[in-house]
Amino acid sequence: MTTERMLNPALVWALLVLFWLVPGSSLAEPAFDSPPERDSAGFFTLDWSGADRFELEQATGPDHADARIIYRGSDTSTTISGLSDNAYRFRIRAEGAETWSDEAVVVVEHHALSRAFLFFALGAGVFVVLLLAIARGRKLA
Amino acid sequence: MIIAEDVAILPEGIAWGLLIAFSILWVFLGWFLGRKNKTAEDHMLAGRNVGLALATATAMATWVTANTTMTAPQLALQLGVWGMFGYSLGALGLILFAPLARRIRELMPHGFTSGDFIRLRFGKFTWRVFLVVSLIYAFGWLVSLAMAGGVLINALSGIDYRVGMTIILAVCVLYTLLGGLRAVIGTDFVQTIIIILGVAFIAWLTIDKVGFEAIHFNLMEERPELLNLLFPAAIMFLFNNLLFGVGEIFHSNVWWSRAFAFGRSVGFRAYLLAGLLWLPIPIVAGFVALATPALGINVPVADMVGPLVAAEVLGLTGAIVVFIVVFAALASSLDSLLAATSDLVTRDIYRGHIRKSASQHEQFRATKVIVVLLGLLTWAAASYRGELPIIGSLAAVLYFTGAFVASAIWPVVAGLYWRRANPTGAALSMIAGTTLGLVSYFVIGFYVAALVGAAVSLAVLVLFTWVAPRDFDWRSLAEAEPRDTAGARGGIR
Repeated sequence: MTTERMLNPALVWALLVLFWLVPGSSLAEPAFDSPPERDSAGFFTLDWSGADRFELEQATGPDHADARIIYRGSDTSTTISGLSDNAYRFRIRAEGAETWSDEAVVVVEHHALSRAFLFFALGAGVFVVLLLAIARGRKLA
Repeated sequence: MIIAEDVAILPEGIAWGLLIAFSILWVFLGWFLGRKNKTAEDHMLAGRNVGLALATATAMATWVTANTTMTAPQLALQLGVWGMFGYSLGALGLILFAPLARRIRELMPHGFTSGDFIRLRFGKFTWRVFLVVSLIYAFGWLVSLAMAGGVLINALSGIDYRVGMTIILAVCVLYTLLGGLRAVIGTDFVQTIIIILGVAFIAWLTIDKVGFEAIHFNLMEERPELLNLLFPAAIMFLFNNLLFGVGEIFHSNVWWSRAFAFGRSVGFRAYLLAGLLWLPIPIVAGFVALATPALGINVPVADMVGPLVAAEVLGLTGAIVVFIVVFAALASSLDSLLAATSDLVTRDIYRGHIRKSASQHEQFRATKVIVVLLGLLTWAAASYRGELPIIGSLAAVLYFTGAFVASAIWPVVAGLYWRRANPTGAALSMIAGTTLGLVSYFVIGFYVAALVGAAVSLAVLVLFTWVAPRDFDWRSLAEAEPRDTAGARGGIR
């Protein structure tokens, strides 16, 4: 709201004319909004904008040989989960467009199992102590 | 981030109709059930004589929240089968609180809040640390519930997130204001029946329409890790969620106020039964999220997955059922939390710190003002959904508070059972547990914050108690209460 008040109307008009004059301005192309580069949790969200309807593609290799469309519609984000360790390539374009307008590469590398079991053991230990504390406390009480 | 209106399953007219009809029902019940409240004690503790059926229903309904009906599917989508099973371990919080409820009622027959206990047991410094922990948690839970209301209405009907969130919050504030804990418990009973029937209906229809085989095949093809029993983040999440649930229940005044309100021999059985009844609910509710790949639907934000799948599979009928179930689950938790948090603020902040000689009438009035203020604060924070890092999704908000509550498990358990627990150790265990829990939240992920908080808190409290044990006479809790609560109970006995 503060930003809007600070904008000079002449500057806004100048920018609008500029975008109208420059054909195929990059702002009209669908693009990802700050996609993650790495993921260790196993789930992440992809956001995008720049058109009314979109096509989102997912692939693993740089040649997109195994590419498949995973979303087609007007939503501007999606939740990705359940992927195995690998580098995943996502491409976005306006629905019906011939060329892809943006690409994001997300490297999924799950936590090491040793770390996972360390936390599991820590949690199990705390839980057992809790059970013993309540059982013993009840007895003494 | 927003579901466009043209893809919403529920027509806006029907959504508005349901919203208005159930809003009127809850507010009417609030007024009807609370019309006999005459004193602060009536308003805050429903006369201290709630029976087993109502007690079990209120414990279960309060624990079936937006976090169960919406976060359980979110966790199934993010962490797979362990996500929903891990979420169901939250039942152990209720089950393990059963013996604590009995102990609390025995030690403090005239107690009002969990803050009362910590103050009398450990002194003012620990009490203040506990209040900070407790209020941050309560606020985080309130915000996550309000967010869930807005998300639900937006996902199903396309009505703006802020509009839906505002209406649900306003309705809960209004009927909590009118009826106090008596209204909260009464509406919880109705809401429990709606929730159980609705969740079972949705799960049965999902299996019937999509089928296990299709769900399994598509998961293996598109999201194989969701079926992997060695999914690292999910393994880390299991005990984290268990300890988070234990921390939530052990410290929160939502559950303490019920321990004080239930009849003398009711608390133990009510919490045990409620935990056993609650156990399968997250699995049933979370399961529907695993049908996402089979259905080929897009989930723009993870916390929307439950309503989206149900509406997609079941069409208009499903959308209506989901709407009613989640509205009931939300209301049953929001009202409990508003009531219990306002009690805590009234007793421990207003009467404990601001106006120590507050009369019964002043406390009664303060409770109501605080309910409204809590509603306004919650509304302001929930309006920022998706715009601040920790207000990104329901799970992110909820598990942020995990570090706080899990670090309060040990001060409560030690306070109730360890005669020689060290008061300074109790305060420092909460501070150290919360700090390191938050560090792990940001460095590793939301799925370890409570676990780290609980482990650190245990180590600190044991160390201090071992090095500097401090004797405590349990009888001083019961002796201190009648004088202490005279103002709030007034002349009703």
